[in-house]
Amino acid sequence: MSKQDGSSRQVTTAPLDDRTATIMHVDMDAFFASVELLERPDLRGKPVIVGHASARSVVTAATYEARRYGVNSAMPMAVALRRCPHAVVLEPHFDRYQHFSRQVRAIFEEFTPRVEPLSIDEAFLDITGARALFGGAYAIGTELRRRVLDRTGLTCSVGAAPTKFLAKLASTRAKPDGLLIVPEPDTLRFLHPQPISALWGVGPKTADHLTRLGLRTVADVAAVPIETLRAAIGDAGATRLHALAWGRDPRIVDTVSAEKSIGHETTFETDVRDAETLKRELLRLSLRVGERLRRSDVAARTVSLKLRLHDFTTLTRSRTLNEPTDLGRRVYEEAVTLLEALGRHGEGVRLIGVRAEQLSADAGGGAVLWDDDESWRDTEAAVDALNAKFGEGALRPAALLGPGGARRHHAREQADRDRPV
Amino acid sequence: MKFQVNRDVFSEAVSFAVKLLPQRTTLPILSGVLIDANDGGLTLSTFDYEVSARTKIEADVSEAGQVLVSGRLLAEIASRLPNAPVNFSTESGRIVVTCGSANFTLLSMPVEEYPTLPQVEGTSGVIPGERFAEAVSQVAVAASRDDVTPVITGVQLEASETNLSLVATDRYRVAIRDIDWDGGDAPAETVQALVPARIIAEIGKTFGHSAQIQVTITNADDREVIAFSAGDKTVTSLLIKGNFPPVRRLFPETVENYAVMNTADLIEATRRVSLVLEREAALRFSFSAEGVKLEAIGSEHAQASEQIDAHLVGDDTVVSLKPSFLLDGLGAVHSEFVRISFTKTDNPNKPGPVLITSQTSRDEPGADNYKYLLQPNLLLR
Repeated sequence: MSKQDGSSRQVTTAPLDDRTATIMHVDMDAFFASVELLERPDLRGKPVIVGHASARSVVTAATYEARRYGVNSAMPMAVALRRCPHAVVLEPHFDRYQHFSRQVRAIFEEFTPRVEPLSIDEAFLDITGARALFGGAYAIGTELRRRVLDRTGLTCSVGAAPTKFLAKLASTRAKPDGLLIVPEPDTLRFLHPQPISALWGVGPKTADHLTRLGLRTVADVAAVPIETLRAAIGDAGATRLHALAWGRDPRIVDTVSAEKSIGHETTFETDVRDAETLKRELLRLSLRVGERLRRSDVAARTVSLKLRLHDFTTLTRSRTLNEPTDLGRRVYEEAVTLLEALGRHGEGVRLIGVRAEQLSADAGGGAVLWDDDESWRDTEAAVDALNAKFGEGALRPAALLGPGGARRHHAREQADRDRPV
Repeated sequence: MKFQVNRDVFSEAVSFAVKLLPQRTTLPILSGVLIDANDGGLTLSTFDYEVSARTKIEADVSEAGQVLVSGRLLAEIASRLPNAPVNFSTESGRIVVTCGSANFTLLSMPVEEYPTLPQVEGTSGVIPGERFAEAVSQVAVAASRDDVTPVITGVQLEASETNLSLVATDRYRVAIRDIDWDGGDAPAETVQALVPARIIAEIGKTFGHSAQIQVTITNADDREVIAFSAGDKTVTSLLIKGNFPPVRRLFPETVENYAVMNTADLIEATRRVSLVLEREAALRFSFSAEGVKLEAIGSEHAQASEQIDAHLVGDDTVVSLKPSFLLDGLGAVHSEFVRISFTKTDNPNKPGPVLITSQTSRDEPGADNYKYLLQPNLLLR
């Protein structure tokens, strides 16, 4: 997306024919930062950064005031503070974010049961059936934003359109604290002037390929023959981009797959070169991933490893399992295999993360003659039970004990925010 | 280098040598076939550090030498040559092949870097070719195709005195077959080898027509290698490292509860009824005195059922089996009738496995000792 500071804001301010705008995307404005400001109203209107104050930490979130200085989430704290030296840094409180996320989600469900949460702070709503009760997208969007603000003190931005992609793009353009409705007849007029990076799935690499072809706006992509796109970015990507550029997006609001993936990552205080330390950290992260998988009653088919090196090169690799798992131990084994396969021994590692993907309802073991993981399954279930009773970390592998344990290197760890769109 | 060779002999030899080459190799030279021409004729060999194949054929060699040439290309050319003697010669780094009125010029790859094939000496045992080929085809179906767990992507060979067992599993099923093994004068110790299933399947097909196959298991340069030889052909493979799971203990000692059916009838019915099933779903088999009823509860739109004859001994039984796994077992029994035995279990969440064995008639068990053990799914209703 372009700048996230709200400088190119577009909003709908009066009712219009919104019958075709049946999909709504709601995105909380600077969610983590706004939640922190509820406790610190004195900082309102000032640049605020959420994250640990240590030099090696990264920005978890930033207010719009801070974003105007070029501060973005996931940026190293040191860079952020250089760009905006007078920003106030607040420690993150993930439990508070969870609490408000649930509260907001409950408000969505007052309008429609067809809610697809994308992450802790955004969701798609299918409002087709809700219009009889609450009116169209304009009425629902306005009322939803009012209820969220009244009950939580937080603002959100809402986009409504005939497709998911356009609804999300609309909410991005409406930010902060805005409502933008793009009815069907307006879609191309809204979409075509957007930069190519607005297209879902266009990251820096694809953008680079497209720019080399002289394509800068969505209109350019729409006008170019699909064969040209194929040659530049491959078959699957070309077909999808072409459809998106014409406003076509067949994805429906999917209420079932609540979470798309579960991951944890750690940024080290100082670069880590030692393989044993990396593995120990992977074990800790993997066990947490496993615990969350079990708590959500899902199993993962794919495990991915993320490694950010001292020079900010970021590597991600993934492996697909024989059969889905919800065991931290299995996640760990796959992650270690991936780490070893990368072969970047001895290089300073700044960040390491592990993620469970392709989640599905737990198949409950499946019809196998024997289960290699049976004893691990029992062990982790016992650990879950004890940790539930005596608190997080009451029981953990011996490898994670010791003076300070793996926490010694720790700067930041968070259940990271999934953005599958 | 210069030689003349019979077209059919040459084509057959090239096709044998390249058959085990992987589709993609890490090094271009490993996709080549090495042709060594000397007084004794031609030796053709391929090797990708995992598998090697080598064969000797007669040829009229007028100038000795070695060349390395793209294996697949040469195999395709050889199979389409006209019916005339094949002439091979090298001219300034190029290989010239002429046959009748056809001419080919091929690039010669550097021979210097080509690895030395594993040398095998002696014989661990001798097995009958046709039996071996049959046993491999019966057992390899149960091997896992998933590289995530390498030890179960192989077929485990266990030889002792006069018996060779072939075992494979993917954790959903286990297949076992015993064949004759002549260990010769070698000390009567147990020989074990875990051979990649894909490779042993090819070996079975290649050597199926040989009366006897010599098997040699050696440990060369810390790499365990198995060799199969018959006539002038030898194939070697690296063994898979690791311990094969102890699957024999999964087999029941005795089973009193079983049903016997006509194999072809059961295969046909299973294929028909499973048409409405969603992928990965299981078929429900209800065995009673009246026969066996197959039921498929597929999507909401389609259902199917069929009843066929079955001779049931013991209690009425219901099992839920994945059709593809059942069909693999039924296709491997190679007998007119088939016996499905039901084992008991104490675990209410895990039905006991079913055992599939051959049966020459309704009452007469098969003479072979093929066993296919399959884990049923949980009954959902």
